[in-house]
Amino acid sequence: MTQWFENIEIGEKHTLGQHTFEHDEIVRFGTAYDPQYFHIDDDAAEHSHFDGIIASGWHTACVGHRLLVDAITQQTADLIEAGETPGEAGPSPGVNVMEFKTPVRPGDTITYTFWVEAKRVSNSLPGWGVLTEWIEAHNQNGELVYKVQFAGFVKRRDYTPKLSERLALFAAQNPLLRRFLSGRG
Amino acid sequence: MTNPVTKDRLHYEDLSVGQVFELGPKQVTKQMIFDFAHEFDPLPFHIDEQAAKRSLLGGLAASGWHTAALSLRMLIDTFLGHAASMGGLGFTKLRWKRPVLAGDAISGTVTISELRRSVSRPKWGVVTLDFDMHNQKGQQVMTMRLNNLIEVRNPDTPGEVGS
Repeated sequence: MTQWFENIEIGEKHTLGQHTFEHDEIVRFGTAYDPQYFHIDDDAAEHSHFDGIIASGWHTACVGHRLLVDAITQQTADLIEAGETPGEAGPSPGVNVMEFKTPVRPGDTITYTFWVEAKRVSNSLPGWGVLTEWIEAHNQNGELVYKVQFAGFVKRRDYTPKLSERLALFAAQNPLLRRFLSGRG
Repeated sequence: MTNPVTKDRLHYEDLSVGQVFELGPKQVTKQMIFDFAHEFDPLPFHIDEQAAKRSLLGGLAASGWHTAALSLRMLIDTFLGHAASMGGLGFTKLRWKRPVLAGDAISGTVTISELRRSVSRPKWGVVTLDFDMHNQKGQQVMTMRLNNLIEVRNPDTPGEVGS
């Protein structure tokens, strides 16, 4: 989220959007990253316990991530439009739990919902906060396709770096100083 | 009823805890990073070299989802593609420890850390697979624990059962 850490609302649900998984994109993703027979081969997939081709769970998750990124990008644009300074979303340290619940078949339309469960100030990264976030994906019949809990960094607005941190940041951004410091271990 | 696609592949009974599969190496090029990120993760530090240099990642880096997808692909090439896999149940503890930068080569191991039979569905086994991925300098870049379903060859034989 490109809201500032301080402005993020806990528990507020946002619909990220929808995506319809077409047969060819299911096979394309499967061929590239998850070439198991029930993701890439219609005839063979009939013999699987899915009774037909299904999307890789990683494909459905990557599309969910894309919709989250689009929402973040849109939020930044909206904040700038409103004359505000947007915050900044950083890289994610990881995913705690991902559960694949219902297979996604060609033609299924998946709706993605996002919310923040908790937030705290980062111990490791001065100036940043850590969010505990969720995405849930449902198909057109309302069945849960997957749910995922993950972590994300977001910048703090009310943060003034200590002198030592400002010096470290300056040093890190200056190639000569950085080489000098790393040379000294 | 035997599955003709998987009948000659590795089944639950063929696996053992502690078994290790070697993955990679696989080089991650700038073009691969751009292509994946444009489709699934178009944040500045994955699609813009200048923005990436100024970011927390310190340079153009692969999407974490890309690193995971490439690791999965390597596991399918070395193991799951030769097994009677029934698909993934999910995963836990996916950790992106360090950025995978353009030009890095990733490799690693996957270890079977747990095997259990489903109580309610005797034909189903669950294999737990621990990923440990590194870059060419030996630095850890990603870890993950994947739970995957696998066919049991002889469902009538009693086995160790989990949930």
